[in-house]
Amino acid sequence: MSILTQLLVSGMSVGMIYAVVAFGFQLTFATSRTINFGQGEALMLGAMVGLAALPFLGYWGTLPLVLMFGLCQGALVEKLAVARAMAAKSDFGWVMSTIALGVIFKNLAENIWGRDDMKFPSPLPETPLVLGGVHVLPMELVIAGGALMLMLGVEAFNRGTIWGKAVIATANDAPAAGLMGINTPRVVTLSYAMSSMAAAFAGVLVAPVTLTGATMGSALGLKAFSVAIIGGLSSGLGVILGGLLLGVCEKLTGFYIATGYADVPGLLLLLVVLSLRPNGLLGRRTLTKV
Amino acid sequence: MRPLPEKLVAPPVLALALLLPLPFVGISNYYVHLGLIVAIYMILLLGLDIVVGYTGETSLAHAALFGIGAYTAGVLAFKLNLGFWVALPASLAVSALFGLLLAIPALRVRGPYLAMVTAAFGAIVQILINEMTFLTNGPMGIRLNRPALLGVLPRDREYYYLVLALLLLAVATVNRIVSSSFGRAFQALRDAPIAADCLGVSVWRYKVYAFILSAALAGLAGTLFAYSERYISPNTYSIELSILFLLAVTLGGPRSRLGALLGAAVVVLLPNLLADIELVRWIAAAIGAVAILIMAARVRRAKAVTSGTLDMPVALCLAAWPAARSLTSVVDFKLTIFGLMILFVVYQMPEGLSGRLFRRSGPAAMRRAAPAEAGLHVVTEADGDLLVVEGLTRQFGGLVALSGVSLTVKRGEIHGLIGPNGSGKSTLINVLSGIYPPSLGSIRFLGQRLDGLPPAAIARRGVARTFQNLQLFGEMTAFENILVALNHSLRGTLFDVILGTPRRRRSEEAARDRATALLGFVGLADLADEKARNLSYGKGRLLEIARALALEPRLLLLDEPAAGLTKPEIEALIANLRRIRDQGVAIVLIEHHIDLVMALCDVVTVLDFGKVIAEAEPQALCRDQKVIDAYLGVQP
Repeated sequence: MSILTQLLVSGMSVGMIYAVVAFGFQLTFATSRTINFGQGEALMLGAMVGLAALPFLGYWGTLPLVLMFGLCQGALVEKLAVARAMAAKSDFGWVMSTIALGVIFKNLAENIWGRDDMKFPSPLPETPLVLGGVHVLPMELVIAGGALMLMLGVEAFNRGTIWGKAVIATANDAPAAGLMGINTPRVVTLSYAMSSMAAAFAGVLVAPVTLTGATMGSALGLKAFSVAIIGGLSSGLGVILGGLLLGVCEKLTGFYIATGYADVPGLLLLLVVLSLRPNGLLGRRTLTKV
Repeated sequence: MRPLPEKLVAPPVLALALLLPLPFVGISNYYVHLGLIVAIYMILLLGLDIVVGYTGETSLAHAALFGIGAYTAGVLAFKLNLGFWVALPASLAVSALFGLLLAIPALRVRGPYLAMVTAAFGAIVQILINEMTFLTNGPMGIRLNRPALLGVLPRDREYYYLVLALLLLAVATVNRIVSSSFGRAFQALRDAPIAADCLGVSVWRYKVYAFILSAALAGLAGTLFAYSERYISPNTYSIELSILFLLAVTLGGPRSRLGALLGAAVVVLLPNLLADIELVRWIAAAIGAVAILIMAARVRRAKAVTSGTLDMPVALCLAAWPAARSLTSVVDFKLTIFGLMILFVVYQMPEGLSGRLFRRSGPAAMRRAAPAEAGLHVVTEADGDLLVVEGLTRQFGGLVALSGVSLTVKRGEIHGLIGPNGSGKSTLINVLSGIYPPSLGSIRFLGQRLDGLPPAAIARRGVARTFQNLQLFGEMTAFENILVALNHSLRGTLFDVILGTPRRRRSEEAARDRATALLGFVGLADLADEKARNLSYGKGRLLEIARALALEPRLLLLDEPAAGLTKPEIEALIANLRRIRDQGVAIVLIEHHIDLVMALCDVVTVLDFGKVIAEAEPQALCRDQKVIDAYLGVQP
């Protein structure tokens, strides 16, 4: 029984990481109908920059730096990949160019930091806390709390500030927002910046409990993408639900069936959800307009 | 330099010219093997291009389908001791089956959702190959022996010719398919899926075709790959390989056999070129020199050094040379160089390398001389009820868009449908054509029930429509737009297309004649080869009408055909609609131009808030108090 609870807790903590990266996918999809297929690499870069700055600033000191870095990296991705592809009017240009930038970032990280995985020193004790008979790593609690806080922070920004309102307006109807004097290209850049910031933050959160290296982002990015799709690209609660579902599914299968099959139920879940609800679990149904 | 027409350098010829002499010219076995991999990848890319280039979707499942082909060969050899010649047809069949499996979830979703579905499919397949050790020998992999050809065990050289023969066969097959009604249907569902459905070209069915064809080619490539490497293991068939394939299609150029060749060549050969640092430095120096020349030309043209002199691409090219000098090995940066190439292709050549190098041949050559104007093939029967709608209700959540609508359309009449904005006119057309199923009520057409049928089935029964917001197949020519709607007139199956049987050819020719005649009928004959997205609004509307007529409908539903037209265009439209009616086609006409309604309609139904408030001849309607109230408001 306590094993089951423990699996649930650690599954939920991984799930929150998926959720926060998936949240990043939603931010850009809302404003521009595009997503950054290099989101996993944004996460990896966040972790690597955090690791590089760690000796000088300490873990908590690196957080603002990583957030700033994520903002800049996201804006760069939007400028180099998305805006240029849109200008060139190629069909799936943005898909290919965001993938290409992701490949470049990964390759550069390999050349800068090497191909081997490294250990990211944990800022908190690595002995589990015992809460009601369940062993929980303190870092797992920080992950869940941090992810939630970041999402709430971005939501508060969107609802409370004038720039946030511009983001919401662009998401609702970009041409109309543009006619009302909102600089929609800049809003799209902003949403990419926030999206990468969320991913970079997730990277630095998850790094202490996993191995850190140039390839850490690929699998995480893909899982977060599947969470965004399971939850629905238009629903904030959906990604949290989807993330928790996927995280818990993985841990349970990995423990009770075999680690090799850990990813299978999550992927099947994705296929089933999409077959039944093409816009995700909590995604809004869009009516085909003619 | 003017690009050469692609037709001149027909891809099969070029493939032969490039690949055939390879094993002869005394190059090492190493390069023969690379040529082999290029040919195998090209087979897969031909298939991937059907999904990416023609139906416009992204697939991240193709490495897995490639793996399914390889493991079909592997498992047959490992478990049943069956060799190459069994594996070849088996891999086609097995991967086609998986393509069908993949198509089921893929049917309901598009765009990023579909990309994720294919990625998930790919990941599951790779995990299963890895974990089902009893069947696949798991991570240990499987060893294979090449088939004996004419009694000798082939080395790479002999095997190369076998692969080349299959490649040419694949190119010929794909060429036939994409230039047939199948290729047009794939592009139609990319540009305007709803319109395709409403023209009887079922999006569902053609998406399944595209995935099956694409998967079969990937499976074939997989088996060839397994026998080329003679050893297979699960790690190869990862999502990274799928991404590589996608990059190859983008780089080579979509909708082109030549593009598949160029894409395959670049992704296979580039890593090998980069291993030679001296060569890379020379290439980098050449690129740098070109960049300097471009800058010099810009300065001369602008007569000053401006901010436009040094833009991003040129700066990157300039940086290439010092970068190559400073590195002792560029192999580590292989992926970065690859990524930069993709960015360059996306920025500068959306049609890929092949699109930049070669001019596409237009469909003009395929169009036949116009025969005399052909009439519309309509069986004119005695007068009677064509369409009977009873108690039709459609709700969207709490909103009742149509409430108990009943109306009857007689054969050969023009039935007007008017009402204020939001009164439910377009919804009625959408329900009649099957885009929304009705919540309640029945639709009978020639005595048959239509309610609940999918749009493509309704279209095939003889109900055609146009759209209030144009739904043309934008990237296709006006002529091809009409050909899509003539799909119903073509005889034979996919196999007739591949084999080019006479009955198929005859019906294709008949369809081309018919399309030419229909373009003439609406007065668009001289715009036949213009891409639909370049047509003016009014011409686009006429094209939609001609396209709907190609279905040979008994009933034509027109949603505001005169909106946005100029005065002369409206007069031409009135004449055309009369001619259509005179041929026996009944028309339901939604229109806001009251003079047009008055001039044309035999009877008019007025909707308000989803209900029928009046039905009468146009003249009588003008005096109907309820209609006046609905349009002008009630006097207090």
